[in-house]
Amino acid sequence: MTQTSNDRKGDQPSSIVARKLNNHVDIHFDRTWFNELQQRLDRNGPWDDWTMYQLAVEAEQSKLIGSFDDLQCMRTLPTLEPMPHQISTARKVLHEMSGRAILADEVGLGKTIEAGLILKEYMMRGLVSRVLILVPASLVLQWVRELNQKFGIPAIAQKKEHSWQNEVVVASIDTAKRDPHRDILLNHDYDMLIIDEAHKLKNKKTTNYQFVNQLRKKYCLLLTATPVQNDLDELYNLITLLKPGQLGGQSDFAANFVVDKRVPKNEDRLQEALSSVMVRNRRGDGGIQFTKRIVKNIPLPLSTEEQALYDAVTGFVRDRYNESNGDWTSMLALVTLQREVCSSRDAVFVTLVNLFKKTAEDSPLRAKIWELVEFIRNIQANTKAEKTMELIREMDDKVIIFTEYRATQEYLLNYFRSHNLIAVPYRGGMNRGKKDWMMDLFRGRAQVLIATEAGGEGINLQFCHHIINFDLPWNPMRVEQRIGRVHRLGQQNDVKIYNLCTLGTIEEHIVSLLHEKINLFELVIGGLDHILERFEKEDTLEQRLSKAMLEAGDSTDLRKRISDLGDQLSHLRTQVAEEDPIPETPIGAILDAVGQTVEVRP
Amino acid sequence: MNERQVHKFVGRYLDATDSRIIEKSPAHYIAKLSPHADRDLTNRPFYWSFVERTGAEPETMTMLLITDKKKYETQTEEANSPAAGPTAQGGIGAAADAAIGRSMGFVHGTLNPTGRMPREELHFGSRKLEQLFASAKLGGSYVCLFQEPERKSAHPLQSTAYTAWLGLNMKVEFACDMKREEFHSLGISLATGQCVEGFHDSLSTLRMTPRLPPNVHTAKNAITFNKAATIGEQALERKLKAYDYAWAQGASKRLEEELATVQHYYEPLIAAAEDDEIRAAMQEQFERRQAEIRWQYEPRVTVSAINCGIFYLAGIG
Repeated sequence: MTQTSNDRKGDQPSSIVARKLNNHVDIHFDRTWFNELQQRLDRNGPWDDWTMYQLAVEAEQSKLIGSFDDLQCMRTLPTLEPMPHQISTARKVLHEMSGRAILADEVGLGKTIEAGLILKEYMMRGLVSRVLILVPASLVLQWVRELNQKFGIPAIAQKKEHSWQNEVVVASIDTAKRDPHRDILLNHDYDMLIIDEAHKLKNKKTTNYQFVNQLRKKYCLLLTATPVQNDLDELYNLITLLKPGQLGGQSDFAANFVVDKRVPKNEDRLQEALSSVMVRNRRGDGGIQFTKRIVKNIPLPLSTEEQALYDAVTGFVRDRYNESNGDWTSMLALVTLQREVCSSRDAVFVTLVNLFKKTAEDSPLRAKIWELVEFIRNIQANTKAEKTMELIREMDDKVIIFTEYRATQEYLLNYFRSHNLIAVPYRGGMNRGKKDWMMDLFRGRAQVLIATEAGGEGINLQFCHHIINFDLPWNPMRVEQRIGRVHRLGQQNDVKIYNLCTLGTIEEHIVSLLHEKINLFELVIGGLDHILERFEKEDTLEQRLSKAMLEAGDSTDLRKRISDLGDQLSHLRTQVAEEDPIPETPIGAILDAVGQTVEVRP
Repeated sequence: MNERQVHKFVGRYLDATDSRIIEKSPAHYIAKLSPHADRDLTNRPFYWSFVERTGAEPETMTMLLITDKKKYETQTEEANSPAAGPTAQGGIGAAADAAIGRSMGFVHGTLNPTGRMPREELHFGSRKLEQLFASAKLGGSYVCLFQEPERKSAHPLQSTAYTAWLGLNMKVEFACDMKREEFHSLGISLATGQCVEGFHDSLSTLRMTPRLPPNVHTAKNAITFNKAATIGEQALERKLKAYDYAWAQGASKRLEEELATVQHYYEPLIAAAEDDEIRAAMQEQFERRQAEIRWQYEPRVTVSAINCGIFYLAGIG
């Protein structure tokens, strides 16, 4: 008895008899059953069991799809609790867009869940069996896991050439478009194609775009949080990939909708055209009810030896800067040194060794570097590490420690190990499998995760609500990224953030700048980029801080310079807060109108 | 199917496949599977081909089948509340699962080779229940059965006449870019050619046996199976003709609109193509897109059989 695979074009079994039922539709009788029954009659068996026969009918009846437009998938997903906007988006794509759509929700509103719901619904209805999902390499396993665990969809990650034979395959687009995979995929008919991070397809001339264009697909979902970045043409290309002609030809589009590459016209019509192929949900402004962030700065006086090293490094850096006649761009490496000295002696040491190697053998600098190494030698204990240990013991709960430096990470791992505390590392250079492994260990046995990287996708650590900033990046977005790993949808507890801050060092200034002036640690999510966008017209905050540090004559001067930067920032902050929240660009306004505002609650 | 229906279904399945139920509660079964059930449910094709080739005595698996997770967990919690052991066990098991998951992409719970009894949650839509469904369909496709006579009326010298019926359980699919389905059960008498609806339901009230009962004779068929099948199809077709096809009209309209849109897009591009190569590529794209649109929207009604059989029923129908 054939499954209902006769949806697929081209391979209809010959035992199907088709005739016209009425003016609108043909009727197909699948007579496979008859041939089989005839054979068994001729051979007088074998005959099946009566109970199984009845069970088969019951099973089929329970799976029957009673209506065109309800959402069947929910009754098979008892553990999934989608948010209302995710369900309404799925319905819209299924019933109004016929399964070809751009899902353009803002980050964090669950585009993957929406795509999963749509896919599951089509699979349950027997309209989709063969699926191709193309995503960035770093997201492959996450997609596979979510589809399997949340949706019970047997997706597999593409690993070898024969993986393509599976019904639901997740692969990286860069692999898929290369030989020999490319030809295999172009010879398949996909009932559904899903592309994540689809803004990478906005340029028509790229091989990615052309490859996706050539794939044969019935339904198609493009997922992106940024359907337009610079240019209205990007939007046009994306929609043309999905449904060529939806916005007319390129020249029609230019004539009807474009004033300048960033300025649209006939907004109402454009919006209407967009709303038939795109859904974009946005975070509400008032309703974001994340749990609280509780920030604690922990001031630490350095030990005499550590202070000696700090002063020596400060002197060294300033001397080099004065020798360079104020050319601060070449001095950025030295700034790093100054920052590392606030983290651990190990971090400084590594940089000094590299510096030593790069210096000419007869340079007088070598002796000076060596002097610094002597200071390092004198240091026996790390004040911050000791304090961190104390904090961890006190909280007796999962905690993530962030540091900027690999050497500090190594040092902490060893230090904790020698004190019988299980910690696992996490860094950008690890491959995907190792990263996942570390996450699993942290979720399971280890109390502590020590991370040098907060960016990158896929680290969702809602099960943990303590963060220790062992040292701080000078780029506020990176600080926000760190916190965002933990303080996000699904976090049940208030998040406690500890900032270690060595007194009398540049770090003290940075902590006060980020905490008091920008109020970074408690800022409403999404507010920070608006402030920085205006602040960093020419140089980034990081660069301006470096400059201030190098040019400052003494610590009073430095305090003043940093305080000036802080005042500018806090001024911008007030400005941003006062402005009304209407999206700034006309494109933004149109995009935002295609969908609803979602009040997100964790 | 709710939890109770699933529970009942699983019990009857285990019974029908001759699996041995070792333990059961309203929320679970522990069963040693029969070879039949093991083949269909445990995903071990290599093992079974080994058994076939060597003639070795098969060792079937024992499984914990949970039909009501909530109830089951409350039960077990109550049963071993003083013991704190299992949680640590679960932690290690979960870590092992995760470790295998990392190298295999994803691994279903049953493959964890720690020697524990495979545990499966059978809720509606779960993969294992789907496998049970598929197994039932595979093992319950074609039957040939006789109605068991009611004892009292059986006089030793009296023979009851039985009529053969073709029973057809059909799934009708109404599909375009959306879809709905219907179930139709037809019975066609091979003696008279009369066709009745709701045949499967009326069968379910009778007791059936695979052997011809004593004191029963079967009437000669007046029509062929082929003819009976045609009668069934025609009856169904007549019924379906009377339905409302606004959905198909709507789909055809969408289909036409979409075709017009791509035509409007591609025809100028093809006309303006600089050389033959570009023109051919554009033409190919155009045709591919048209084919996709038909594939997506074309309305169709498909009738296929879920299962079917020959049923000998008392009386001349």
